[in-house]
Amino acid sequence: MSCDKQLDITPQQSVDAGTALSTPQGVESAIIGAYARLDLPQSYGTNLVLLPDLLGAGPEYLTWQGTFKSYQEVTAKNMTSINTEADRTWNQNYQTINLANLVLEATPVLTDEAQKSLIEGEAHMIRGMLFFDLVRLYAQPYQTPSNAPEGVPDPASTPGIPLSLTANKTEAQASVRLARASVQEVYTQVLTDLTTAMELLPDPNEGTDVRRFDMYDAKALLARVYLQMGNYAKALELSNDVIENSGASLNASVISTFTNKNSSEVLFEVQQNDQNNAGASNDGLATFYSSNIRGFGGRGDVRVLEAFAARYEEGDQRGATEQIGASLIYTGDGRRAGRLRSYKWNTSSQNIPIIRLSEMYLIRAEANQRLNSAVGAAPLEDINMLRSRAKAPLLAAVTLTSILNERDLELAFEGFRLHDYKRTGRAIGDFTASSPELVMPIPQYEINLGNALPQNDGY
Amino acid sequence: MKHRLLLTLVLYLVLGVAAWAQTRSVSGRVTAAGDGSGLPGVTVLERGTTNGTSTDGSGNFTITVQEGASLVFSSIGYTAQTVAVGNQSNITVRLQTNETILGETVVIGYGSQAKRELTGSVTQLSSKEVENVPTVSFEQAIQGRTPGVQINQGSGKLGSAVQIRVRGASSVTASNQPLYVIDGIPVTSQDVGAANTDPINPMADLNPNDIESITILKDAAASAIYGSRASNGVILVTTKKGRAGETRVNVGAYYGRSEATRIRKFLNADQYKELFSEAILNSAKNPNGYINFYYGEDPDLEQVFAEEGGMDLNSTENTPWGDLAFRKGSVQQYDANVSGGDAKTRFFISTTFNDQTGIIIRNRYRRGSIRTNFDHSISDKLKLGLNLSFTRSVNDRVSDDAAFSNPVQLNALPPIQSAYDASDPSGLNRNTLYYNGLVDVDNASNRAGTYRSFSTATLGYEPIKGLMLRTENGVDFLNLNESLYYGSLTEDGAPTGYGYQNQLQGTNFTSNNTATWLKTFGEDHNVELLGGISYQRYNEQSNSSEGQGFPNDQFKKIASAARITGASSAGTGYSFLSYLARVNYTFKNKYLLSGSIRTDGSSRFSDNNRYGTFPAGSIGWVITEEDFLSENGILNFLKLRASYGLTGNAEIGNFAFRRLYSAIPYADVAGIQPTGLGNPDLTWETTAQADFGVEFGFLDNRISGEVDVYQKKTRDLLLNLQLPYTGGYPSVTRNVGKLQNRGIELSLNTRNIDGDFKWLTNFNISVNRNKITELPGGEIISGGRNLGRVRQGEPIGVFWGVKYAGVDPDNGDALYYAEDGSKTNDYGAASQQKLGDPNPKFTGGLTNTFSFKGFDLSLLNQFTYGNDIYNIGGVFQSVNGDYFDNQTIDQLKRWQKPGDITNVPRASFADANGTAPSSRWISDGSFFRFKNLTLGYTIPAEMAKRGFMKSARVYVTGQNLITITNYDGYDPEVNTTTFGQANYLLGHDFYTPPLAKTWLVGVNVGF
Repeated sequence: MSCDKQLDITPQQSVDAGTALSTPQGVESAIIGAYARLDLPQSYGTNLVLLPDLLGAGPEYLTWQGTFKSYQEVTAKNMTSINTEADRTWNQNYQTINLANLVLEATPVLTDEAQKSLIEGEAHMIRGMLFFDLVRLYAQPYQTPSNAPEGVPDPASTPGIPLSLTANKTEAQASVRLARASVQEVYTQVLTDLTTAMELLPDPNEGTDVRRFDMYDAKALLARVYLQMGNYAKALELSNDVIENSGASLNASVISTFTNKNSSEVLFEVQQNDQNNAGASNDGLATFYSSNIRGFGGRGDVRVLEAFAARYEEGDQRGATEQIGASLIYTGDGRRAGRLRSYKWNTSSQNIPIIRLSEMYLIRAEANQRLNSAVGAAPLEDINMLRSRAKAPLLAAVTLTSILNERDLELAFEGFRLHDYKRTGRAIGDFTASSPELVMPIPQYEINLGNALPQNDGY
Repeated sequence: MKHRLLLTLVLYLVLGVAAWAQTRSVSGRVTAAGDGSGLPGVTVLERGTTNGTSTDGSGNFTITVQEGASLVFSSIGYTAQTVAVGNQSNITVRLQTNETILGETVVIGYGSQAKRELTGSVTQLSSKEVENVPTVSFEQAIQGRTPGVQINQGSGKLGSAVQIRVRGASSVTASNQPLYVIDGIPVTSQDVGAANTDPINPMADLNPNDIESITILKDAAASAIYGSRASNGVILVTTKKGRAGETRVNVGAYYGRSEATRIRKFLNADQYKELFSEAILNSAKNPNGYINFYYGEDPDLEQVFAEEGGMDLNSTENTPWGDLAFRKGSVQQYDANVSGGDAKTRFFISTTFNDQTGIIIRNRYRRGSIRTNFDHSISDKLKLGLNLSFTRSVNDRVSDDAAFSNPVQLNALPPIQSAYDASDPSGLNRNTLYYNGLVDVDNASNRAGTYRSFSTATLGYEPIKGLMLRTENGVDFLNLNESLYYGSLTEDGAPTGYGYQNQLQGTNFTSNNTATWLKTFGEDHNVELLGGISYQRYNEQSNSSEGQGFPNDQFKKIASAARITGASSAGTGYSFLSYLARVNYTFKNKYLLSGSIRTDGSSRFSDNNRYGTFPAGSIGWVITEEDFLSENGILNFLKLRASYGLTGNAEIGNFAFRRLYSAIPYADVAGIQPTGLGNPDLTWETTAQADFGVEFGFLDNRISGEVDVYQKKTRDLLLNLQLPYTGGYPSVTRNVGKLQNRGIELSLNTRNIDGDFKWLTNFNISVNRNKITELPGGEIISGGRNLGRVRQGEPIGVFWGVKYAGVDPDNGDALYYAEDGSKTNDYGAASQQKLGDPNPKFTGGLTNTFSFKGFDLSLLNQFTYGNDIYNIGGVFQSVNGDYFDNQTIDQLKRWQKPGDITNVPRASFADANGTAPSSRWISDGSFFRFKNLTLGYTIPAEMAKRGFMKSARVYVTGQNLITITNYDGYDPEVNTTTFGQANYLLGHDFYTPPLAKTWLVGVNVGF
């Protein structure tokens, strides 16, 4: 009919999916979209950093004082399968994984080899790191003979998470029910993705965009994965490679890592600014951690416990001081004033460091200690390097225990606690490494749809 | 100037012609058949001409008519009467009241029809039902008066959206709200704002006192002429028009006070300390307890209160937080209208100002409006109409139900904490467990300001007798300005203030072009044909910005913000192109036949499925016109009617069929991400409705009424099918599944006593049964703590989940029912089952009207029976002291020692004993409400005259006076929208404010 054109009304803020990824610019935009999704509160914007610390919380560490029931349950380790955090973290990160898959499928339109290599590397990197963080939250930890916390089951026969590797564009594709791959299979996929990323991503020494992934980001993450798996030789090799060749260097001040953007110590951080961030009132790391009346404000929901602050020695800038901003733990003066807070997360517009060089020193030190070697440097040297940067008294000697202690102190509130304690078989309160309470439930939503079965024990 | 000259010339010509004919002057009086009092405002029209007048305040009239003329006397609420003038020069007419409304004309889609000839199911209400009722929008005023239509206010917040279901919910995902049409123009009736999750009601922009009639089209025969928009029923609103005759001036005012219908009671300080001390000690004794974990077996209570809640156990405060959210509200309205005109030109001009101060702190609604409705006959064949209205409304809103700053959430604060702190700059205690929402009273504002215009221009041309060509063009213009400022002392604005501004412009343009042909063949055959084309286009543009970092709280606009934390501009729109036709045929006034068809094309569907066609047919038989009944003295009227037809639903958002990518910014660069799967095969949801109705009147129409039985079957349900998260898209919109609504509705009018003292009763009751009959995609589970679901074989929104089994007398554990009926304290082992139904078994209303001399008294009762309510806030409010939220008083009955038989589990701090979602917080939501009581006194005309008035009436009205219910929450008429407005989230209560109980006095004076 002639009036038909009156019925053609097209969206003003969206483009058709059929053409969205058909040009190099479109694919470039989509990979930026995947980066942007890493900043969602359900991803590294909040939960992938916060949940391992809340689930790893105990009387020696921190507690959740806030009113959100979902985080209360995580901290008290009495979640049910409808826990909002379990649901939304899973949901949103799988959407990001699908976007990475869509990008990987669309890269043939890229004609510039360097751009193609970069974008494919980024997509593998994002997919690999999300699988890694999801499997650590939603499944029992990885266990091998060299890394055998008591009671942790064999990874080849333990359910991990579903591996979604296809670029879903139709309802038929999106409605496929996926079983949970084994923990072993998930780690294999993570290694494949990150190794591929390592091979594809550019060398930062040849000039790259600091806001995007490079080769050493992949190597650093691989070092983290191998450490988690108990493959100390590989962890050592990669961490040493990153320390020696990435061009990154420790900041003069440990505090500046969290107050400056893209500083020299940071290998990768999620970018945020005033307009685009994980949240400033109901989401966001600073929202929950901060209680600073003259600064960002914050809800003062996460309270650092005195017992943990007491583990820092006099003068350590990572510990507590009176003046807010003079060290990484302070006494809050905003909401729920008078309690200890972390200064690592102090404003909603700050960047969120995901991989920083000090972790590489800690991995190298731990791996050297365990392997009784001194590749790159002796463990004592690496540990004292971090301590001297933090203005903490230097140690005369180190043991595995003191290296792990240093790791707790250096990487506190950055999402390492749960994974480190499980890896090393240290109990969290009364909960051992294999306690079902320390594993997030598969969202009830998935169970209802017959997807991602079976449910974890205890839910 | 030229035009005026021309007009004058035309007028002289017309008058000159008139003067030539032989005329006579007639005067007389029109009285009411009952009490014989003079009837003002009755239209007196010379039949077959536009010559007319209307009666004055005492019912008197004078008119000059042609020789052999007949006069038609008509007035709303009375049966029209035709009198041949003959040789009379003085005529007295007694008009019969028309409570049966059978003689009434009913507004229908694109026209009007005599009620007696109607073959569809329609409810029509008149102005008197919505005038001067202390509500914000007219839908709230007609609760209890609408058989087949369920109206739920959902919340006591002023101006918030009202849930309306015409014959049940016909869709799972697409909107279930009816289409609103004002003076022929479909208008924006759904919230377009962005500042809050809780929706506002754009229909509040219509001044209820401007409404002449409200017609609700319920079955397919009545509504299918609106095609793809009609499955949820259609509400036609017609505004008042001027009538020929003396100019009348009416002025009215009312003022009243309001308070909450009910305020829930919470623990006092002593009870609070007792319960929570016990909860902490129990958790310490529990080896897996939270307190045990952090404080060991023997905690210091003072320390736990201080460290966990920041509270002083030794405090002597006893703050009634739950009461602080409420206050005495007020209502006031001032309105005036002038109407009149002559045979050629009629006008109605009105203005009103309404101001309501809410019962909830911070809540206020104000509306000012003007309207001009103007009709002019350019010639006998050409008629012009212009309706213009302009409204300004300002709504000072309270936060969403789920926001900590929602005043009702104050009930969660511990009574041992003080509300005030003189040393704080706000004067309030800002170190409370949860945010002290009282800070917002002086330090925050959330204002939705609207400019709205409903305007229609019509031109009608009658080239030959019986053929009417009509073009009707209208615009609904909506400009919404949302402006929020949270000061530096508030939680949302700390530390340097937060501002948000959203400016939205929505324009709904409609052009209806119809031809109507009326013809009588012979004596017996009456035919009315309608054909037309309609085009509607909606366009919406919005701009918003958000800033932080204000110099101080005196600066509230974003121009003063140091940091712009967000800004956006966006646009959207849709269009409909429609072709419509209808035929009405009556034979000997007793056999009625009607058929209609509409084809709709919409931008909301892809090329494959752009057009849909919606036919309907109906028949009727007026049995009392048959010879065998015409002589009987008992039955005055009996009509049977039946209809069947298809209607559609297209309310799924503007671009649901498209698979799209949208921008997602990453710090300083923007990327893109997929936003939904899209579905090019998406098409209309179709509802097939069959209706059978009986209309009757007997004993001199002292008893009359209407019964309808219907079945609505909806197929190709527009459904957001849930998909696995791992596929990357949580849902897709599909046409799958079926549901049905079946029901009976009865409306009964009786004139119990009819003399000087009059007693009229209207009773209506509606039964609707909703059932999801096919759901191929599987059950839809709303998730989180919600219990509403969509399940095959169950009504929409059925409460489904774990059934609470009370408390284990041995240890105080909360128990749940397992599959085999046994009780378990393991929530994971409990079985999922039906827990309740948020849909009422029946609803209705009862209106009794009494009048004696100048006094009138009316009482409206409204009732709802058999629906369940789930208090989703129960996990905080009534959860045996699991966290420091103040608890409802019933939690004192907690289990304390082995052997205690109770329904409230052992108090154990943060140990999740009984906190999981279950039927624990479901209760019966039936209620019987004394909705409206009005006592009025009309001053005798003689007396009024002495005061230079034509009429004067004073009245007292009470609204929501008494509510009889077993629901233990605030108000049983509740439906929170804070978790989204999914159609299956029904009957959920979450810190939702109750309705207002209002008393007011008012006066109306006519000059």
